[in-house]
Amino acid sequence: MSDVPMKPADEKEAKQNVEKTGEKKPEEPKKQPLPVPVEIRGNAALIDRAVSTLEPRYTLRVLRTLSALRKRLTVKILSDAIEAIYPLNSAVKPALLQWLPATEPEPEKEMDVDSATPPTPTPASTPTRHTNIEPVPEVEVYLRLLIIHFLLANQATYAQSLKLSQETVQKIQSLNRRSMDPIAAKVWYAVERAYELGGELAEARPLFLAAQRTASLRHDDETQASLINRLLRNYLHYNLYDQADKLVLKTNFPPSSGNPQHARYHYYLGRIRAVQLNYSAAHTNLQQAIRRAPPATTAPGFYQAVHKLSVVVELLMGDIPERGLFRHPVLAKALTCYFEIVKAVRTGSLSQFQSTLSKHAAQFEADKTYSLIVRLRQNVIKTGIRRLSLSYSRISLRDICVKLHLDSEEDAEYIVGKAIRDGVIDGHISHEQGWMECGSQKSGYGFDVSDVFMRRIQYCLELHNESVKAMRYPLNAHRKELDAAEAARQREAELLRQVGEDGGSFDDEPGIGEGF
Amino acid sequence: MATTALGTLYSQLQQAFASSDLLQTGQLLAKLKVGLITAGLLVPQGDVNFNDLVVAREILEIGAFWSIRTRDIPSFDRYFSQLQTFYNDYSSVLPPSPREYPIRGLNLIRLLTQNRIADFHTTLEALPLPADSLASNPYISHPINLEQWLMEGSYSKVWNAREEAPAEEYKFFVDSLMGTIRNEIASCEEAAYNSLPIKDAATLLFFRTQQEVLLYAQQRGWQVDLTGGTIAFTKKGEEKLEIPKDKLITANLQYARELEMIV
Repeated sequence: MSDVPMKPADEKEAKQNVEKTGEKKPEEPKKQPLPVPVEIRGNAALIDRAVSTLEPRYTLRVLRTLSALRKRLTVKILSDAIEAIYPLNSAVKPALLQWLPATEPEPEKEMDVDSATPPTPTPASTPTRHTNIEPVPEVEVYLRLLIIHFLLANQATYAQSLKLSQETVQKIQSLNRRSMDPIAAKVWYAVERAYELGGELAEARPLFLAAQRTASLRHDDETQASLINRLLRNYLHYNLYDQADKLVLKTNFPPSSGNPQHARYHYYLGRIRAVQLNYSAAHTNLQQAIRRAPPATTAPGFYQAVHKLSVVVELLMGDIPERGLFRHPVLAKALTCYFEIVKAVRTGSLSQFQSTLSKHAAQFEADKTYSLIVRLRQNVIKTGIRRLSLSYSRISLRDICVKLHLDSEEDAEYIVGKAIRDGVIDGHISHEQGWMECGSQKSGYGFDVSDVFMRRIQYCLELHNESVKAMRYPLNAHRKELDAAEAARQREAELLRQVGEDGGSFDDEPGIGEGF
Repeated sequence: MATTALGTLYSQLQQAFASSDLLQTGQLLAKLKVGLITAGLLVPQGDVNFNDLVVAREILEIGAFWSIRTRDIPSFDRYFSQLQTFYNDYSSVLPPSPREYPIRGLNLIRLLTQNRIADFHTTLEALPLPADSLASNPYISHPINLEQWLMEGSYSKVWNAREEAPAEEYKFFVDSLMGTIRNEIASCEEAAYNSLPIKDAATLLFFRTQQEVLLYAQQRGWQVDLTGGTIAFTKKGEEKLEIPKDKLITANLQYARELEMIV
């Protein structure tokens, strides 16, 4: 559920993270007051348990707290945690500690060295076994991930975080452990951020491509999903839609990956399809992205980005987005200029459309929707014609020309002809009389309706089956049920015996006992 | 450049191109391409001399223009994809070429004439210009306008714009573009009209003589009524719809099975 920033805008992300920290509250009310080092240690224990029981659930639980945690990291907390988790003479400990900036909080660090022993005994009461047993490598990678995120928070340490992330990636690949996959997927995200903030996103591409190949060979679904998204984002950042499209064609997005990855993937796919004029496919993808995305308040940046695109795509398909969308608390402000475009398209006024477009050009350019919106021009005309065809059963080409501000009657004739061919309106032109005659409206029942209905039923059934498959049963839970059944049987026997003991008065009704 | 022979060939090529000697340019280009390959400059890799790259780019640019003048579109395609390395990957190293945008614009028009609209837009997105300044670049705005008119159906504007091409080479595409437009208009007419006088059809399709219209009508299989002087379009898609029985039955059976599983 974490880190869904799609736009590099840092403030947006920051806002998002603040929201996310808030989101954890209802879920884990006890977690909040926990001091960070304790939480990190707890997480390490959870990862340990995940590895020993082969249950990735625990790791996922740890990673869910990542985004909340990374806002509260400091050098002291990290070094404390490392000191506490690793035994005194561990080889890994100095390797990890060297990455922490020693220069910045010099006095604190000094104190740290002195008090290296005090923090260990205090928590030692609970995680005693960690003090002399070397933790699993997953814990090390997790700690590295935390350090990378910590380094990424400060502009001065970008280069260092990049180095660390490269080293971590090498480590992950040489270890090649399946239990590490979920953490590795997160590490890749951090790697991308490191490259991006360092301003050399393009150079990360070969690394990602190679890693993607390895991940798909190892059936490492989480990492694969994460990497495909990294690559798509990378391509789209440089407007390389061709390459992105080819990547989508050549790869299979693992269906078992998590919802946030799916949401991202669908968003990128939607963008590619929209540029390729395949609006209905784009719309489906964007819908999926919206449905799979975390709630609006959790990840407002992503939610806004998807909706911006989805509004434009919906307009390009000839639909008008719902009015309520623009009143949504998270979207209202972000979508103001899109709302004006929608208004212009809805009224079919070309002049209003042009003025809105030039007024908000910078905003659209920043959102990378400008060229899509320019394409809307023809839709403005089409909407205008459709409105005319609905309200008139016969209208002269001259009137169409005047109403839609077209340049000449000749143009109007061609445009109407094209609209009829494209199926925007139903009707025909009479050239001799110079008018357009509109056909009757189609009825709302037909095979396309039944097709849509069929698709929906299919979707519901699939949803049901998926949820049945996704249900989890705790181990040995059936034993409890068996016990309960056993107890019931005993009770029944008891009852029968009592009935039997109570005597012969019931002898003429033997059926009662069996009936129980 | 590795050899002086290539240098002399290059200056010969410039002269031949300037005097628009198509035959000689072609011959020189073939030799130069071999030279570029041996010098490892056709697809530059690693560290190469900065000046050599500029020369290689110019040779390819001349090649692209030459292929259009000789109306060899596949050849233009090849030159353009070779040039993309120079335009995209070396854009930060090399000084911008004055021929870059004319060639990019030509590529856009080529996509338009082949009716590859999706590719057209993908290429447009990949242009290294901010989207709102596209309109101020004459070489790029021409294809953009053409596309917009084509999409909204203002075919007469496209017809009138054929003389306003920003570069000589753009006109080579006009003929095939007109063919595309004519087919577009014809398919619109088939859908929009029941019948049309031959004279009007000629103006709508930008034909000058009735003869041309009749020939075109024959190609598209229109019914021409010479005595009445009209063209009748057969209506398609009016055939009676049948209930897709098989589909409905299989769907219902599937629902029944799924319901069984749920209950």
